[in-house]
Formats: sequence, structure tokens, C-alpha cells
Amino acid sequence: MRRFLGMVLFSVAVPLSMVLLSRVVYFIDGWAEHGALYLGLPTGYGAAVANVLLLMAGVVQTTAAALTVGERKWSAMIQNRIGPNRIRILGLSAGGIFFLLADALKMITKENIEPSARSRVLYELAPMAAFAPSFVLFAVVPVGPPVDLHVGAAVHRIALQVADIDAGLLFVFGAASLAVYGTALAGWSSNSKLAILGGVRASSQMISYEVSLGLALVGAMMASQSLRLEQMVEAQGRLLFGFLPALGFFLQPIGMLIFFVSAFAETKRAPFDLPEGESEIVGYFVEYPGMKFGMMFLAEFIEVVVLAAITSAVFFGGWHPVFFEAYLKQTLSPVWFASVCAGAFLGKVLLLCWLQLVIRWTLPRFRFDQIQKLCWKMLLPAALGNVFLTGALILIDPSLELLAVVGLLEIVAVIAITGAVSRRVPAGGRTSAAREAVAAAPH
Amino acid sequence: MPYQLEDQDADLREQMYFPEVIRGVGILMRQFLRNFFFGREKNPDLLARDRSLSQNATVAYPEERVAYPPGYRGLHRLVPREDGKPRCVACYMCATVCPAQCIYIEAGEYPDDPIEKYPVKFVIDELRCVVCGFCVEACPKDAIRMDTGEHAPPSYDRAAQVWDETRLLRGPPVSYQYDPWLRRGSPSIPKEKLAEMRARAKPFPANAGDEYAQTPGFSVRALAAEAKARGELLGRF
Repeated sequence: MRRFLGMVLFSVAVPLSMVLLSRVVYFIDGWAEHGALYLGLPTGYGAAVANVLLLMAGVVQTTAAALTVGERKWSAMIQNRIGPNRIRILGLSAGGIFFLLADALKMITKENIEPSARSRVLYELAPMAAFAPSFVLFAVVPVGPPVDLHVGAAVHRIALQVADIDAGLLFVFGAASLAVYGTALAGWSSNSKLAILGGVRASSQMISYEVSLGLALVGAMMASQSLRLEQMVEAQGRLLFGFLPALGFFLQPIGMLIFFVSAFAETKRAPFDLPEGESEIVGYFVEYPGMKFGMMFLAEFIEVVVLAAITSAVFFGGWHPVFFEAYLKQTLSPVWFASVCAGAFLGKVLLLCWLQLVIRWTLPRFRFDQIQKLCWKMLLPAALGNVFLTGALILIDPSLELLAVVGLLEIVAVIAITGAVSRRVPAGGRTSAAREAVAAAPH
Repeated sequence: MPYQLEDQDADLREQMYFPEVIRGVGILMRQFLRNFFFGREKNPDLLARDRSLSQNATVAYPEERVAYPPGYRGLHRLVPREDGKPRCVACYMCATVCPAQCIYIEAGEYPDDPIEKYPVKFVIDELRCVVCGFCVEACPKDAIRMDTGEHAPPSYDRAAQVWDETRLLRGPPVSYQYDPWLRRGSPSIPKEKLAEMRARAKPFPANAGDEYAQTPGFSVRALAAEAKARGELLGRF
């Protein structure tokens, strides 16, 4: 019971702390902008630098690092175990968070063993080439809405977004494809047959899935008629039929599914983890010791966070606190409203990270031909069909209401098919009812 | 008991792949939330745990221990009499039957009692012991038992694994009505003590049932329950 109350408290405290964190970021952004203007820098410079430091280096990095422990702890909960709890400070295991320190210490102090026949420059470059692009993706993600902040006597318009560039989603595609270089270079430059096979697997998988990744977002682009992520988020704040928020999830459920799967393949995690396959087959970073491996490892988790951020921005309404928006806007001051919005966004990101970890622990690894089949024979045709369907529906009804109706029908269909479990009796076995009867009988 | 699943082709719904994945994710989410919100029951008796909320099956070993079954062969002990001396009469049966030859006995006599023998030295090398339990079976006096429910504790040197009579002689005392020192009396036992021991003695079991497999008051489960009551089994997780 004590744990139940504690966990309920924890679940309430996390969103609240997200809101407070957003408020702090807004505050620091405001002062950074003020200082930058005072120093004579152009508008938006100070806030952008503060955002890079706070959001990208702070929030994303911290979340990704915490996810490495979270994965162990959460998988333990899924599998009826306790999980890491042996490192204790003052008798507290604190959910295993101290393993972060132990991991960091281990990575940093490990002996640096390098293959003698490596191509040196590329070998050193590869972890950074894997690390940087996934990081950069977060630059275009709008974390919080723009708001007028009063700093001293001046008023600055601050948004929690590093860069609002016209290319928007195209930048996302471009930066995401750069991640291939990291894996391919790591495989090639280690001068190891196993590593290069892993690198080739990684490249082929990532290049395949980029096709469906791009096509899956075309529908969402058409619906919001923009490539800029902040405008896509803005467009999702409208109400259709007067009550239904125009979320990408309602307009583009199939597109969301395809995007999520493709992006999942881009992160190279189970069930798509055959480029690395840490446990059995050997991956592209076999020859990397210590912190270089650590960077590859961390890059994976940063990709998880960034994927969650982009999915929630494009399909789950970004920073809109969906159903409570009107009420919150009336009751709160603009700055606090913006903070709540940003907190809602961070909460969505956390939920989607959690969803990804759950999926990672649900499915076993694909075989290579299954991966390619899934991409080229299922996702790609479905994505193309989705593009045509969306285009036609928007052409017929530019108010998107028809698109929403079809989207809701798609969701209902998916739920119906998922729920329609055929109760086949396994030969030689028992039905579930018979098994329960046996289990209930006294031993 | 695992039940056989016939190897059959996937039906259309399963071939669509995603519905099944969504179902699987749903199952795992439920399991996660269950174990997230509800704490693990710490009952070391796994089968008695209430699994309706959290299904966590872990026993955090060094802090919590599963009670061993009554027949578990643990560390040896030399069973004491009521007056604190060993029941052992140094007959060498256990040392003879021991397949690992890990028991060493030196016999001695109580100076004022010409009949009674006792072990001056009784040494068991726990590293050589194969835990077969033959010594317990061979003993005619129920003087050696393996009912402590403990493992041989780890040590940094081999010498610590050689247990002599001072370490082996422990646990609750046992007296049987036919014990020679009770029937005849013994100069080494004071008169009033002897009367008390006679009063407490039981008949020797004709065949060893569950009641005799475990000394009353020395049950492993009871020890675990006591430790739990003292709060030693409650770690923080």
C-alpha cells in the first residue's frame, strides 16, 4: 500500500516537475535573450543558445542517460523482477538511478583497446558521426509555444525551440540519414569482418526504412500544409466538428503507425536490432571500447528520445495539452500556460519513450529478410496508399473533417481487428478455460 | 506442465502482424503497471504469495531466504544432551560409513563412569563432505543430524571449513527414554538433573516420520518466521 501511494505520488510529481522545469527554462531563456540583446547580438540569438544548452544538452541528454537505467528497471517490471537495486547510497536504491554513475565510471576508465589496422581518422570519427545527427534532430522540435516574457522593462518573444527553419521536416529527414555514416564508418574503419558485416546490415536497414519514413510523413505534411514543425503543432490545436482536436493521430493513424515503425527501425533497437545484436550476432561497434562504445550506446537512446519528440510533435499535438487547453488558457497567466504546454509536451515524450521500451521488450528480433520484407512489401505500399488516400480526401474536403472521419474509421478497424482474437484450441492442449479449471483445483 | 501447441500456419489476422503486436504490447503494459504500482510481496514461501496485484517472483537472496523443506540436508550438528554434553558415544559408525571419509573421531571415557564413551575430538571436514546424509542414517544414538537448515558458510581459508566438536555441538537437546545414561544413571550427571532429563525424554521413533525429521523448536520455517518478525527479512527495494 505504501508503494502504491508512493507511485501515485510519483506519477503526479513527474508531470508537475516537467511544468516547473519548463518554467525555469522559459525564465533562463528570457534572461539569456536579454543579455544577448544587451551585448548587441541579433534577436533570438540568446534564447537559441540557451535552448541548445538547456533543451538539447540538458533535457535530451539527461533523459537519454536516464533511459539506459530505465530500460533495465522497466524491463524488470515487465518481467516480474526487481531489477537493478544493489547500488545504494544512504541505504536507498532510488530506482537504480545510481547505476548511471557506475556505468559512466566504467565506460570512462576502461582500457582503450583499438585494432592496429584501423583507418585511424574514420575510426575516431565514427562514434561522433553516429552521435551528432540524432542530437541535431532535436533542434527543430518545438518544445513550448512562443510567449511574451517580461524581463525587467523589456518584452521578449521566446519559444522553446532551437531553430524554426523553413525546411522543418526535410531537415529531419536529412539529419536522420546522416546517422548512416556513423554506422557504416564504424563498420568499415574497424578493419574487422564482423564489424563490416554489421555495418552493411545497418546501412541497408536504415536506407530502406528512410523511404517509408519519408512517405509516412507526407500525409501529415498535406494535412497541416506546412513543413515547419511549429506550424504543424499549431495546426493540431484546432477543433474539428467543434470537439475533436485535429491531432495527427486522428487524421493519420496509418501514417503514424508506419512512421513509428520506420523510425523504430532507424533507432536500431529490438526488434530491429540486427545491426548490433549485442547478445548473439556481432554488430558494427565490436571494435569500440569504453566511452566510444558508450557514445554509440547513448546515441541509440538519444534517438529514442528524439523519435518520441518528433512523433508527439507531428501526431500527438506537440505542446497542446489536448483536452484541457481552453480551460488552462483562461485560468493561467500566459507564461504559466506556456509552461504547462511545454510540460505536456515533455510528458508526451516520456510516455512515448516508455512505449518504445515496452515494444522493445515485447518482440524478438527480426530475421534480415523479414526486415526487408516488412519495409518494402508492407510499409512502403501502405505509406503510398496512405498518401493517395489523404490527398484525395483533402481534395474533396479541405476542412479535413472527412479525413478525420476516415482516420477514426481506421482506428476503429485496427481496434476491432486487434480485439478479434480467434480462440483456437491447440491440439493436444487445453483451452484457456480448461487450464484455469486445472489451476483452480487443489493440488 | 507445458501444453503442446500444434505447429500451424498463421491465419489472416496473424499475417497482418500488427494486431498481434499491439495485443502483445498491451499485455506487457498491463504487467508493467501492475508491478509499477504494487509492491512485491516478501513472503519467502513463494507459493503462498498473493499474486493478484504484483506478480513479482523475486526473493532478494542474501536478505530474504526461502525456507528449505524439512528433509533438507544442511550443515551437520552434534546433538547435545540436556546437560550440554554430546549424545555421541564415539562408536565410529558415521566415520566408517562416510564415503568421503570426512569424519575424524577420537574416543575418550568419562573418568568416573567406566561404561560411557564420548568423543574427545569430533571433526568434520565440510569441504570433503558430499552431503549424502549416511552419517545421520548410521548413527545409533541420533547424535548427529543435518537439520540446521544452513549451508556451510563461506570462508577465506580451508581451515575454517574444518568443524570440530566445539562448533558442531549446538541446537536444542534431545533425550530418549531408552538412553543408557537415563536408564542406569550416570555419575557425570547430577541427580536432580537426571530426574529432569528422564521426565522430558520421549520414546524412540520406530520409523522416522516428519515429526522426527525435524527437531521440535528447531524448524527452519519457524526460524524464518522469527527472523521476519525481527525485521531482518525486510530490506528496502
